[in-house]
Amino acid sequence: MNADPPLMDDPDPRATVEEWDPRRPRRPEDELVMHLERDQLVVATSQPVPPAVLSARVRAGLWALRVFVVLVSLMVIYTFAYQLH
Amino acid sequence: MATTDTAVSPGLALPPLTDEDVARSHDRSRVHDARVHRKRWRLLWLLVGPGILAMLGENDGPSMIAYASDGAEYGLGFFVPFIPLLFAMAFVCQEMCMRIGAVTHRGYGELVLQRYGRVWGWFGAGDLTLTNFVTLIAEFVAIRVGLAYFHLGSGVAVALGLALVAFTLSGGRYWRWERIVLGMALFNGLFLVAAILVKPDVGSVVDALDFTPFPGGSFNTLLLLLASTIGATVTPWMIFFQQSASADKGMTPSDISHGRYDTAAGAALAAIFGVGALIAGAALLTHGGAGIQGFAGAGFPEALKQVAGGAAGTVFALGLIEAGAVAILTISASTAYAAGECVGVSHSFNSSPRSAIVFYAANVGIALLAAVVILIPGAPLLSIALNANVLATVLLPVSLVFMLMLANDRGLMGPWANRLSTNAVGITVISFVGLCGAAYGIDSFLLSTHLIS
Repeated sequence: MNADPPLMDDPDPRATVEEWDPRRPRRPEDELVMHLERDQLVVATSQPVPPAVLSARVRAGLWALRVFVVLVSLMVIYTFAYQLH
Repeated sequence: MATTDTAVSPGLALPPLTDEDVARSHDRSRVHDARVHRKRWRLLWLLVGPGILAMLGENDGPSMIAYASDGAEYGLGFFVPFIPLLFAMAFVCQEMCMRIGAVTHRGYGELVLQRYGRVWGWFGAGDLTLTNFVTLIAEFVAIRVGLAYFHLGSGVAVALGLALVAFTLSGGRYWRWERIVLGMALFNGLFLVAAILVKPDVGSVVDALDFTPFPGGSFNTLLLLLASTIGATVTPWMIFFQQSASADKGMTPSDISHGRYDTAAGAALAAIFGVGALIAGAALLTHGGAGIQGFAGAGFPEALKQVAGGAAGTVFALGLIEAGAVAILTISASTAYAAGECVGVSHSFNSSPRSAIVFYAANVGIALLAAVVILIPGAPLLSIALNANVLATVLLPVSLVFMLMLANDRGLMGPWANRLSTNAVGITVISFVGLCGAAYGIDSFLLSTHLIS
C-alpha cells in the first residue's frame, strides 16, 4: 500500500484481521485503537458466529417453545380483539 | 466471542478502522486511563449507563400508572415487597445480557439469528417490534396524561417525544446519547418525591413488607395484575437494549464487575421509584382510587391534586412526562439495534446516519409511527395501553430462553458462561414469568369464549 487508507464506512465483511498488510504506514488513530480488543473492531464483529450445534433434546424443547408461542399468541390476540369489539 | 486477546497489540498490523471504531476507541482510552491510574469513581462513572437506562427506562409511563393503579385499588400490601422482588428478577436477566454483550461485543438479535437460525432471529425481532410499537403508543399516551394536567394536548406530546428522539440522535456518538438519556432518567426520582408529598404512614409501608394483605378479586383479575406488574418490570426490549448497548459502549470482560454495579444500581433505583409511584397511588385508596382511569384525561395527577395538594399532582404529572420520554428513547433504540442486527448492517450510535441508515431510520420510524397512532381520532388507546404490558409478558419467555442459552454457550462465552447457581435462579425466573403469562393468556381466552365463567 502506498498511502494511508481512509476511514472506512463500510468495511469488507469478508476480510479478517489477519489479512491486513503489516507494512502499511501507521495512522494517527492507530494509537487510540490500541484500547479496543481485537474482536471488538467492526471488521471482526461483522463476521457471523457459527450456528450452534443443538442436541435432539434442545431441538425438541425449541419446537415445544414454538408451539407454546403460537398457541398463547393466538389466544392473546383473540382476547385482545374480543375486548376491542 | 470469548477470546484471550486483551487489546489490539501495537506489534500487529491494524485492520481498516471505521468511524465507529474510532469513536469507541476514544471512550475506551478514557476507561483505560481511569483503570491504569486507579481512579475508581471515574471508572465507575465511565462504565455505568446501560444497566441504569434499561431499568429506569422500564419504569416507563404505563408501568408507573400500573403501580399507581395497584396502590389506588389494593393499597400497599403485597406490592411493596413484590415490586423489589420483580426488579431482583430483572437484575438476574439483565446481568446476563450485560455479560453476553461485554464478552461477545454483539447484540442479542444478531447472536440469536446467527446461532439459532433465521426463524428464531426474525421471530425475536418481530416480537420486539410489535411489543415496542404497542408500548411506544402507551408512552405517548402517558406523556399526554402528564401534559393534560397542564392543559396541553396530544399534539404537544407528539412534538415533545419526536423532538427528543431527533435531538438525542444528532450527536453521532453513543457516549453523548447515553449521558443525555441518563440525565433525563434520574428525574424518575420525581415519583419518590410524589410519595413523600402525599405524607404516607411509614408504619403501614413497613407493615406491607410481609406480602399481606394479598389482593382480592377473581382469579383472572389476579392473573392480569401479576402479568401486568411483571410486564412492567421485565420486558423483551430490555434484553435487546442492554446487550446491544453494552456492546456499543465498548464494554469488555474486564468491565463485567462494573456492569453488575450499574445493573444493580438501576434495579435498586427503579424499585425505589416504582414503590414511590405505588405509595402515591395508595393515597387515593380511600378516595375512589379504584375508579380512576390512569390513561384517561389527567388521571392520577389530577386525583392526587384533589387529595394531597397541587405539588403532589404537579410532581406526579412531571414524572409521567419524564417516564414516557425516557422510555421512548430507550425503546426506540432497542428497536433500532434489533433492526440493524437482523438486517446485518451497521447498528451503532457511534456510526453516522449516512453509514447506518437502517439503524437511524428504525429509531425515528417506530417513534413516528406510534406518534401518528395517538393522533388518530377514536383510536382505542386505552385498550392498547392496558394490554401492552400483558402482551410483552406473554411473549417474554421466548426472549428469556434464548438469553439463557446464549449465557450458557461456552463457545461464545468461554469462562464467562453461566454458573450452576445463576442457571438455577434464571430458570426459576423464566418459569415464573412464563407460567404467569401463559396462565393469563389461557384464562382470558377461556373467559372470552365463555368456556369458563
